[in-house]
Amino acid sequence: MTEDAGPSGQHNRSGVPGAQGPSEPSSEQERRAGPWAVPSRLSPLVLLIDPVRMLPSLFFPLAGVLFVGGFSPSSFVWAALGVLGSIGYAAVRWATFTYRIAGDRLELTRSLISRTVRTIPLDRVRGVDVTTPPLHRLFGLAVVRIDTGASGGDKQEGELDGLPLPEAERLREVLLRRSRATHPDVGAVPGAGPAAGTAPALPSGPSHAGQPAAVEERVYARVPWRWLLYGPLSGAFLFTPFALLGGAIGLAFQWGNEFGLSERAAIGVGEWLWHRPILLVLAGIALILAMPLAGAVMYTVFNWNFTLRRRGSSLVAGRGLITRRSVSLEHSRIRGYEIADGLLERRAKVARLWAIVTGLGDSRTRGQLLPVVPRRFALQVAAEAIGPFDAELRPHPSVARRRRLFRAVAPGVAVAAVALLLGWVAVGVLGLVVAALGVPLGLDRYRSLGHAYDGVRLSVRSGSLPRSQAVVERRAVVGWTLRQTWFQRRSRVLTVIAGVGAGSGGYPAIDTGEEQGVHFAAEVTPEWITPFLSKN
Amino acid sequence: MSRRAITLWLLEALVGFLLLVGGSAVAASWISGSGWSWLPSWIPEHIWWLPVLIGVVELPFVVIEPLWRYAVHRWELADDVVYARSGWFSRQWVFVPVSRIQTVDKEQGWFERLLGLATVEIRTASYAGSSSIKGLDVGVAARLAEDLAHRAHELRDDAT
Repeated sequence: MTEDAGPSGQHNRSGVPGAQGPSEPSSEQERRAGPWAVPSRLSPLVLLIDPVRMLPSLFFPLAGVLFVGGFSPSSFVWAALGVLGSIGYAAVRWATFTYRIAGDRLELTRSLISRTVRTIPLDRVRGVDVTTPPLHRLFGLAVVRIDTGASGGDKQEGELDGLPLPEAERLREVLLRRSRATHPDVGAVPGAGPAAGTAPALPSGPSHAGQPAAVEERVYARVPWRWLLYGPLSGAFLFTPFALLGGAIGLAFQWGNEFGLSERAAIGVGEWLWHRPILLVLAGIALILAMPLAGAVMYTVFNWNFTLRRRGSSLVAGRGLITRRSVSLEHSRIRGYEIADGLLERRAKVARLWAIVTGLGDSRTRGQLLPVVPRRFALQVAAEAIGPFDAELRPHPSVARRRRLFRAVAPGVAVAAVALLLGWVAVGVLGLVVAALGVPLGLDRYRSLGHAYDGVRLSVRSGSLPRSQAVVERRAVVGWTLRQTWFQRRSRVLTVIAGVGAGSGGYPAIDTGEEQGVHFAAEVTPEWITPFLSKN
Repeated sequence: MSRRAITLWLLEALVGFLLLVGGSAVAASWISGSGWSWLPSWIPEHIWWLPVLIGVVELPFVVIEPLWRYAVHRWELADDVVYARSGWFSRQWVFVPVSRIQTVDKEQGWFERLLGLATVEIRTASYAGSSSIKGLDVGVAARLAEDLAHRAHELRDDAT
């Protein structure tokens, strides 16, 4: 939480408190805001957490004071003053920060010297994250992060660091319920799947809103620990050891500077290593051996006890061993899902699942619904939690296969040709090997291509090493782009991109036949396309 | 599409042509003066053919591109859907229903100002539903932008 209000937040610098006058909340709104209608503070337990969290940043200054002071009594007094000061600062920050729900907005007030009010209209709230870092968990606290879907970075987001966990959960429910009530038009999700039948509709109109006796909950998936073994198949975590090594080197440099080790020493170490190549080779082998292991460990730590459930009208995905992270996605903002499986994952018949959500930044980490799980299970969960898709994907014309093959093979051939022309035989051979590998790759890319529409949702699939299939609701489509390069025109194929105001923004069906592609767009949104067909 | 759009594209193509030939000439002088030993000797010796070759190959396109574009570029507003076709070597068709439009901008670049032309930028929540219609007469562009903004406000559909 910063002192300044974001661009949409309203400054209210002392003098006239409440000058921007939040509309007097009606008794109805008072009731719905629950206990938060009056300004509330964070849990005082954060006072125990804050100083501990400040320790790392205090360590070097304190050590410095003690060293410079030669561990004299006065230096200890100064160090103690420093620690006390930081505790006092934390206490003042705690005492001066309040939050409340005033009418239709959440107000975060910090009155340290001047009074700063950050106002978040509840209808802007798009998602609420509840995370419990290790220290917080020790005291039963949680961090609540409010996502407003604003594109201007984190300026407009709100953070409540240190609420008792049950209160955090209740607050999330209230915030999301309010944001939903202001969008009754998007509340009704056509074809929300079996979930719609089992979860009773929550009050969405202001007329019959009230504290629900108990929040409706339903568990879609609880990933058993055995499935964590699939993790390394995704490949992404295989690079973890290198990332760790990089981090360690960076840290060594940083700490080295603190302890007076110069860059010259570091270069010296590098040279020393360079003259003992056997050590470097051994280190490399160790890293390569460590990759699957470290990958598996990291994956396990991040995805421990992954659960996906419906809570009220949000999908909540919880995961993590050390820091437990739980992301709430408002159901009415989910427009579809993406299911991805790499080459190895397809062999093992496993896949990963993401939600396609409007106005969700960083959707690849925050929108994740399932880690690597059996594909059949992922499809089943997607159908239950978001909605079924049951149309066969239509294959693309065989010209597309030739084009995929050409694109996979040509770069290797080109490199080989240039290299052999220049007389670099080794590079040339390497190019030929890459070109040969391009053949199965191209064929597989062609097999992945497909598109379909089942009356409610459309789907496109492409890729090979990472293959992904997107399933998007028809109402989320905001437009179409049809693209045809000169080469595509000669092959009579084109690429149809469904513009969607969520996820990656556009989902392409690559190299469909000319007729086929136009027909696909016209099938999904006939009223937009057919008027122009006769003229072209 | 105004006929002056051809002039606009011609000017743009000329600027691009000069940058490309100039850039390759700079690269050529750099390579010929570098004395890299790992390159076969015939490359630095004949490197000055590179900008000449690029110039000769590109020159016809400076004229062809504007004419080709003029033949391809079309736009239409019918039944509350904007349809725009653009491109030359590669083509692109965009269909944007007015109800999903978020912003409509009228823009004028430096050359466009000179020629009394303007570009209408239509934006939705997705890049694939966004389009810019280039080379419109200023008056036509202003009217189109006005109409679209007005109609989009009436039809606003917040499902995205």
